[in-house]
Amino acid sequence: MVRFKSRYLLCEVCFADPRSRQCLEERAVFSGVRDAIARAHGDYGAACCAVSFTVKYLNAYTGILLLRCRKEHYRLLWSALPFIIHLESRGQRQPCRISSIHVGGTIRTCQRFLIRYNRQQLLRMLPGCQSEEERASVHRAVLSCSLKQLEEEGSSRDEDSD
Amino acid sequence: MALFGDLNIVNTTDKRKLKNVIETAAHLGYSTVAINHVVNLQEKKQEIGKPTCVAELFTSPPTVQGKSKPIKIITRLTVVVSEASHCNELRTTSPRTRLYDLVAVHPKTEKLFHTACMTLDVDIIEIIMTEKQQFHFKRPPVNVAIDRGIVFELVYSPAIKDSTMRRYTISNSLSLMNIGKGKNIIISSGAEKPLELRGPYDIANLGLLFGLSEGDAKAAISTNCRKALLHGETRKTAQGVVHTMKKTEVPEDKEEAPASKRARTDDP
Repeated sequence: MVRFKSRYLLCEVCFADPRSRQCLEERAVFSGVRDAIARAHGDYGAACCAVSFTVKYLNAYTGILLLRCRKEHYRLLWSALPFIIHLESRGQRQPCRISSIHVGGTIRTCQRFLIRYNRQQLLRMLPGCQSEEERASVHRAVLSCSLKQLEEEGSSRDEDSD
Repeated sequence: MALFGDLNIVNTTDKRKLKNVIETAAHLGYSTVAINHVVNLQEKKQEIGKPTCVAELFTSPPTVQGKSKPIKIITRLTVVVSEASHCNELRTTSPRTRLYDLVAVHPKTEKLFHTACMTLDVDIIEIIMTEKQQFHFKRPPVNVAIDRGIVFELVYSPAIKDSTMRRYTISNSLSLMNIGKGKNIIISSGAEKPLELRGPYDIANLGLLFGLSEGDAKAAISTNCRKALLHGETRKTAQGVVHTMKKTEVPEDKEEAPASKRARTDDP
């Protein structure tokens, strides 16, 4: 059976200025990554990755990004990601860094990894809590995230809020 | 995979910036980080000073992402040599270099590269990344350096900042790979700001661009870093066999370091 196999790259976007994270848009990321591939790998790279390259998911609050590309060319895309130094949004250049945290074959594996990763991040935030209310809300968030619950709800892909 | 290490974080006088960079490195997953003091002896009035006290930086070092241990911070000295007289500082008996955990040299000419590989007592040899290399690498000194346990370092932050630097970086590293076949290579950041750091898996992928094979690229950020660290320890402790500790009342007797620590071959 012929099936198009893709690779999903789960990445985290970090900005120098935390407030500019909220201005993150899918179009800005798409054009930024496409230009970075063209600069790093030339016309060949731009053409290879243009076949099936999309931004599947973008969470402006946590800075999580899910990119999809073909299985044959995912290394080209992956090796161009470290060279991105800024993203343009609304005419402004925001210096940023994209670091990849997981490569998966399907969206579901990336989702499973992301839930575990977010739970780890919440647990890392726990010692830095300033007040009891913050601590209680982080506790609740950690206990409430689980894949089973999500699978019962359907195929919605929302994570815990920070 | 094994522990990741980033052995080149440029030392700045601004402590907060340095703290930010180290916290970012811990967030990205690096278990070991070296603060690099660069000394360029060609400029006047540059001396090798004392390393920054690591305990002053952090009361409690940040924990590494994905592990429960805190990040390990060590000190490193890089001496940029452009004349033969500068090599005097790097002899074993030099008092200042003993204070640092790792010693690196950045040779600018072919003769100095030859001396660094054969005779100088260093752990890391830094390869020029910001300009086209004037000389070609030769096989004999590179092989001697690999036998001695010296590690070659590729710095990737110039490549991220500028496009022409990217070309020099890739061409210099490809010429090194041709001669050295990818052994004893580490890739490190040379970062001054937290945004210049990249995650370890991204760097392993960059290693593929630099001409390394997949296994070598993964080793470049994990096992070879550990190799350099152990080499630095053996420099301090007489080839890893003797480890002396200062005690307040009675001087501790010599204790054998475990055999697994002796990672490098002895000098003939």
